[in-house]
Amino acid sequence: MRHPLEFLFPPEIGAELIYSFVIIVSSLMIYYATKEMYELSSYKGIKYFRQAFLFFAIAYFFRYFIQFFLVFFSLQGIIDISPRFILSISLFIFLYSSSMAVFYLLYSVMWKKWDHSKMKIYLFNLLALAIALIGMLFRGIEVSLILNIVLLLFATFMLFRAYKDTKNKQKGKSLFIIYILLFVFWVLNVIDILIPKFLQIYQLIIYLASIFLFMIILYRVLKKTGN
Amino acid sequence: MAKRGKLEIMRDILRIIQESNNLIKPTPLLRKSGLSSTRFKEYYFELLERKLIKEVSGEKQDRHIILSEHGFRFLEKYKAIVNFIDEFDL
Repeated sequence: MRHPLEFLFPPEIGAELIYSFVIIVSSLMIYYATKEMYELSSYKGIKYFRQAFLFFAIAYFFRYFIQFFLVFFSLQGIIDISPRFILSISLFIFLYSSSMAVFYLLYSVMWKKWDHSKMKIYLFNLLALAIALIGMLFRGIEVSLILNIVLLLFATFMLFRAYKDTKNKQKGKSLFIIYILLFVFWVLNVIDILIPKFLQIYQLIIYLASIFLFMIILYRVLKKTGN
Repeated sequence: MAKRGKLEIMRDILRIIQESNNLIKPTPLLRKSGLSSTRFKEYYFELLERKLIKEVSGEKQDRHIILSEHGFRFLEKYKAIVNFIDEFDL
C-alpha cells in the first residue's frame, strides 16, 4: 500500500515544482509589471490581460505548491485531512483557475468586438466551474478531454477572427501564434494532470515549451512596460 | 479627422491643462478640448473620479482645474500604455 505522502509527493515532484514555480513567478511578474499602466488608464483590455495571468499564477500555485506547503509545514497532521481530498480540491481550483485564465486572455483581445455586458464574465465563471467539476468528478475520463479540445477549437477560432481584424498583421501573427500555442499547452497540461500516464514521455517537453511561451510573453511585457 | 479613442481624448484634456501652466478654468478647457459639453462632462467627471485632475479654488473663489500627480504620470506613461495595448492587441 502506498504511503499517504506518496499521493502528494510522487518522485517526479521536483521537476513539477520547478515548473510550477517558474510559471507562477513569470505570471506574477506580468501582473505586477502592468499594475501602474492599468491604474493610470483603467483600460479594460489591460485589466483582462492582467487577470489572465493572475489566474495562471493561482492555477499553478494550486497545482503543486499547496501540497508542498502542507507537507513542509506539517499542516497535514494539524488539520487532519486526507491527501486524496487535498488533491481533489487542488485539481478543482487548478482547472477552474486555468480555464478562467484562458477565457480572460481570449477576452482581452475580443472584448471590443463582443458586447460589453457583464454576462460574459458570469458565463466564463459558469463554464470554468463546469470544466472544473467535470474534471474533478470524471478524473481520467474522456469527457473532460473532449470538453477541453472543444474549448481549444473555440479559442483558436476566436483568435483567428481577432487576427483577421488586426491592423498590424505581422505583429498580430506572432502574438496569435503564441496565444494558440499557450492554449495548446494548457490542454496538454490538463491532460497531463487528468491522465498522468498518457503523456508521461512528453512531460518534460510540455514543461519546457510552456515555460518558453510564458518567458516570451514576459519578455514582451517587460520590454513594453519599461520595467 | 479620425475619431479619437477614449485614452487619446483623456490625454488631450490633460495636455491642455498641462500646457496652461497647470491651471485652467472649466470653460476654456471645454472650448479647447473640442468636445460637446455632454461628452466633456463625462470625461471631466471621470478624470476627477480617477484622481487624474483636481479642482482648486482661485483667488475669487472661482473653480480651477489642475493636474494631480497621477495626471502627470498618465501623460508620462501615455505612449508606453498605447504601445502596450498595440503590442498585445488589447
